[in-house]
Amino acid sequence: MEFDGEFELEDVPPEQAWIVLSDPVAVRNSLKGCRYITPMDDDFSYDEYEPDENLETLPEADPEAVAERAFKEGQQYAALMQVGVGSVKPRFETTVTIEERDEEQFIMTATGSGTASGSSFSMESGMQIHPLEGSEGSRIEWWTEADISGRIAQLGSRVIEPVANKIVSNFFGDIERQMSDVEETDSGITDRIRGML
Amino acid sequence: MSSDSERFAEAEDGGPQPEKHCGHGRGGMGEEVKRKEDQRFITGRGNYVDDIKKSGMLHCELVRSPHAHARIEDIDKSRALEVDGVVAVLTADDLLEYDLATMPTLMDDTQDVLVNDKVKFQSQEVAAVIATDRYTAKDGAQKVDVDYDVLDPVVDAADALEDDAPLIRDDIEGQEDNHCLDWETGDEEATAEVFDEAPVTVTEQMLYQRLHPAPIETCGAVGDYDPGKDKLTVHMTSQAPHIHRTLFAQVSGIPEHKIRIVSPDVGGGFGNKVPIYPGYVVAAAASYVLEQPVKWVEERSENIQSTGFARDYDMQGELAATEDGEILAVRTDVLADHGAYNAVAQPSKFPAGFFNIFTGSYDIDTAYGTLTAAYTNTAPGGVAYRCSFRVTEAVYLIERMVKVLADELGMDPAEIRRKNFIQPEQFPYESPTGWNYDSGDYEKALDKALEMADYDHYREEQQRRIETDADKLLGIGISSFTEVVGAGPGKSCDIAGVEMFDSAEIRVHPTGNATVRVGVQTQGQGHETTFAQIVAEELGMDVDDITVEHGDTDTDPYGLGTYGSRSTPVAGAAAAVASRKVREKAKAIAANELEAAEEDITWDRESGEFHVAGAPDRSISITEIAAGAYMNKPAGEDPGLEAVNYYDPPEMTYPFGSYIVVVEVDRETGEVEFEKFVAVDDCGNRINPMIIEGQIHGGLAQGIGTAMMEHVTFDDNGNVTGGDFMNYLLPTSMEIPNFETGHTVTPSPHHPIGAKGVGESPTVGSPPAIVNAVVDAMAHGGISHIEMPMTPDVVWEKLDEAGLAADPADAIALEFDGQWSDEAADD
Repeated sequence: MEFDGEFELEDVPPEQAWIVLSDPVAVRNSLKGCRYITPMDDDFSYDEYEPDENLETLPEADPEAVAERAFKEGQQYAALMQVGVGSVKPRFETTVTIEERDEEQFIMTATGSGTASGSSFSMESGMQIHPLEGSEGSRIEWWTEADISGRIAQLGSRVIEPVANKIVSNFFGDIERQMSDVEETDSGITDRIRGML
Repeated sequence: MSSDSERFAEAEDGGPQPEKHCGHGRGGMGEEVKRKEDQRFITGRGNYVDDIKKSGMLHCELVRSPHAHARIEDIDKSRALEVDGVVAVLTADDLLEYDLATMPTLMDDTQDVLVNDKVKFQSQEVAAVIATDRYTAKDGAQKVDVDYDVLDPVVDAADALEDDAPLIRDDIEGQEDNHCLDWETGDEEATAEVFDEAPVTVTEQMLYQRLHPAPIETCGAVGDYDPGKDKLTVHMTSQAPHIHRTLFAQVSGIPEHKIRIVSPDVGGGFGNKVPIYPGYVVAAAASYVLEQPVKWVEERSENIQSTGFARDYDMQGELAATEDGEILAVRTDVLADHGAYNAVAQPSKFPAGFFNIFTGSYDIDTAYGTLTAAYTNTAPGGVAYRCSFRVTEAVYLIERMVKVLADELGMDPAEIRRKNFIQPEQFPYESPTGWNYDSGDYEKALDKALEMADYDHYREEQQRRIETDADKLLGIGISSFTEVVGAGPGKSCDIAGVEMFDSAEIRVHPTGNATVRVGVQTQGQGHETTFAQIVAEELGMDVDDITVEHGDTDTDPYGLGTYGSRSTPVAGAAAAVASRKVREKAKAIAANELEAAEEDITWDRESGEFHVAGAPDRSISITEIAAGAYMNKPAGEDPGLEAVNYYDPPEMTYPFGSYIVVVEVDRETGEVEFEKFVAVDDCGNRINPMIIEGQIHGGLAQGIGTAMMEHVTFDDNGNVTGGDFMNYLLPTSMEIPNFETGHTVTPSPHHPIGAKGVGESPTVGSPPAIVNAVVDAMAHGGISHIEMPMTPDVVWEKLDEAGLAADPADAIALEFDGQWSDEAADD
C-alpha cells in the first residue's frame, strides 16, 4: 500500500519545519494513538518501558534538550502505536530506524516495522522539505510504502485508507500548529538549535 | 398425514394447486410431506456442535499466522501459559510426539496440523491454546509470541508458475517450482484437426472466481476421550463421518473400533465440511492427551480464510462449428489454483473432478481438455461447493461458450441449443470424454422453460429497448445444463481408497414402526423426510411411522457421506433396495399369517398391503406382519424384520434442466435487476416436490451470489481481503427475485426408484444463465463475456466499452436544462 502527499506552510520557513519534524516528542504529540517514540537498544522492552509523559516541546522546551533528543541517522527508535481500524484496535510495537538525514536538503527517510496481536506491518517512509515558491514558507513532500499483514490488512484498503488518511491529515494539521507556535517565539531559538544539530 | 391433507384442502379452496403425484396418502414417493426435522429446527431444539456441553469441557483457540508465507523462527508459550485458566499451549513440537503434527489431505498431500516449519497461507494454524473457557482461550492465544521470518508470498496461480516465483512447497522432496499437477482428457490430435478445418471457431477466456461455500454454521468439534473405555468420541461438523473415522484411525493409530464420530445437526455444508481440518485433529488430540473434553469452534472469518474454498478455475474455452451452428468440437485449457496444499475434495482418481463433463447437454463428437494446477500462498481447497466435483466449472464453460457461438453466428441461443442437444433416443449416451449419460430429454425441458419465461415476448421487448435507446437494456440468458452426480460406482470412484458406495439399514419394530439408518449425513437437505418417504413407499408404511437416523458411526451403517448430490442416487437406492429385502421377508410372514403359499402372495403398491393373488380381501398390512415377525414367526424363518443394503451404483445419474433469466441492465449505474427467473429441472422421479422446490430456491440464491457478488480476494501480501461477511458478500432476501420453478420427469433407468438427485442443479445451472443474460443485454454492443461477480462497476465498465453506458453528460445536461455544452461536459 502506498500513501503520499504534500502540504504547504506559508509562514513556516524550511529550517523551522525541519526542527519540529526532527523532534520525536513533537512528532509523538501530533501522531494520534502514539504513546511514545524513544531511542532503543537491544534490551528495550515494550512491556516495561514507561515514557515520561510531561516532556515539553518548543517553544517552552529547553532548546538544548530538543537538540539532544532530535532524530539521529542510524539510530533505532521504539514506538508504541494504537490504531483503531473498524472493529479492531491493535497496539503496534514498532521499531523505526532513521536511515537518512540530510541537513542541507532537508531529507529524512526511515524504515520500520511493527507487530500487534494478529496484525503486522513494515514500511519505508520519507519526507523532504522544499522552500515554498514565492514565499518564506515550506512545501513538505512525504511518502510511505507499507506492507500490512493480518487482521487489519484483511479489512481491505476500503477501510484502511480512510484511517491512514485521517492519521496523516491529523498529524500534519497538528504539526503545522506546533510549527506556527515555534514561529511566534524568538526566532533565535531555532537558529540555536540548528547550530546544535 | 394431516399436514399433507391440509395442503390439499387449501388447494380445493382455490389456493395454489399442488401437483398430483403417485402418492397413496401415506407420505410416500411424490407427496409434499412437511419436513420432519423442521419441528426441532424451528423451535430452537436443534443440536449443533456448539450446543454440546460436557462436564469439565475445555476450549481450544487456534493461533493463526498473520502472514501468508513465513518461516517460524520461534514460538514462545510462556506469556500465554501465565494467563489464569490456560491449561495448555500446543505447537507442532507437542504433536510430533504423537505423530500428529501433519495429516494427509483427501488427495494424499501432507498438510500441517500445526505449522512445524513454514507458514504457507494466511491464517494457517500455528499453535493451539486450551483453556477453561472460550474467552480465556482467546486471551491466551493473543499472548503466544511467534517469531516469523516473513517471505515473499505468491497468491495468483499464473504468477506462482513464473520462474522467479518463491517456492512454496519446499517440504516436498524434489519439488522445484509451484507446479501441482497436470491433467488431460479427450483426443488432442482429432480435436486439433477439427479446429483446423472448422468453418467457424470461437474462443473466450473466463475465470470461475474463488468462492467460499459459506455454511451458516462454521466448522467445529468436541473431542471427548473416555479413558475408562479407552474410546475417542469426536462430535464434529462432518459431511462424511464414516470416512472421517477411517482417516482418524489411520492418522492417529487409534483402532477404528475405538473411535466414534458423531455428526449432529449440521448447519449447512456445501462441500465445506468434507475435508478434515486441523481444528478437528487438535480438539481430538488435546482431549486424548488431557483426558478431558475439548471444544473447538471457529469464528466466521476463520471459516472463510482457512477452510476449503471452491472453484478458482481460469478457463479458456473454444468451440468449432459449422456456419449453421452445429458444434463440431470443444477444447479447453484450465489454470487451477489449488492453494498451499493439494486438498481438493474429490474421488482420488479424478484430480480435476468430473470437469471432463464439459461437452454438457450437446452431442459433440470431439473434445480435448488440459489443466494445470498450481500451489499458491492461499488456503487449500477446491471443494465441491454444492456441486459434483467441478461439474459447476464444466457447465459454466460450455453454457457460456454456446452463447458466445450463438452471438458470433447471429443465432438465437435457444435455437443453437436445440440444434445440438443429445436426443432422447441416443441414451444411454457415451460422451467423447468417457461419460455414460443415463437418460435425458433436454429439448422438452428447454421448451417448457421458454414457454414459462414468455421468451418471444422478451425478445421483442429487448429489440424495442435497443431501438428506442431505452435507459435500461434487457438481456435474456439461457442455460441448458447437465450434471453428473451420485458417485460411485466404486470401481472408478473412491475417497482415500474407500469405494464410494452407500448404505441403508431398516429395522421394523414389533409394533409396526421402523427405524432407518443411513450412511449419508444431512446438513439441511431434509434426509429425515426424504428417506422416510422412500421406505414408506416401498413398504406401504405411513411416513410418520418411520424415523431416520444418521451421523453416528457407532450405530449407522458405513457410508461415504453427503456431497456431490449422492444421497438420493446412492443411499436413496440403498434405502429402496433394503426396503425390498424387508418386503421379501414380509412376504413369507404374510403367507404364514394368511395361510397361503408364499408364491401366491403379492404386494399392492396402492394399498401398501400384501394379499393373496386373486383375493384382495385376504390382505395384511406391514404393521400386522411386523407383529407376526416377532410374535408368530413361520417355522424355519429367523425372527425379526430387518435388512441392510450397501449399494454400489452401476453408473452415475445425470439430472438436467433449463434455466432462463431475464435481466434489466441500468445503462447509467451498471446495476442488474432480475425481471424473470425460470428454472425447469428434471431430476428423474421426484420424492418430495416441496423439498425439491426448497432446494432449487436455495441453490438459485447461491447461483445469484456467485454471479453477482461473491469473490474471495487477496492483496499482494497474501492478505485475504474478502475474509469476512463485510467484504465477502452473500445475497440476502433483498437480492433474490421471485423464482418460477417447473419440472419434467425423465427417470434414471438404472436407479431403483428412478431418481437422480437435485440439490445442486440450481447452483450449477444458474450462474451461466445469469452471465448469459447480462452479456445478452449488451451483445449488440459487441460484448462477448463479463467476468463474475458482475458487480455494478464491472457491468458499467462493459457498458462503457460497448458504447452503451448512458453518457453522464446527458444526465447532467438534462438536469441543467441543456445549458451545459458538450465541451464542458467532456472536461
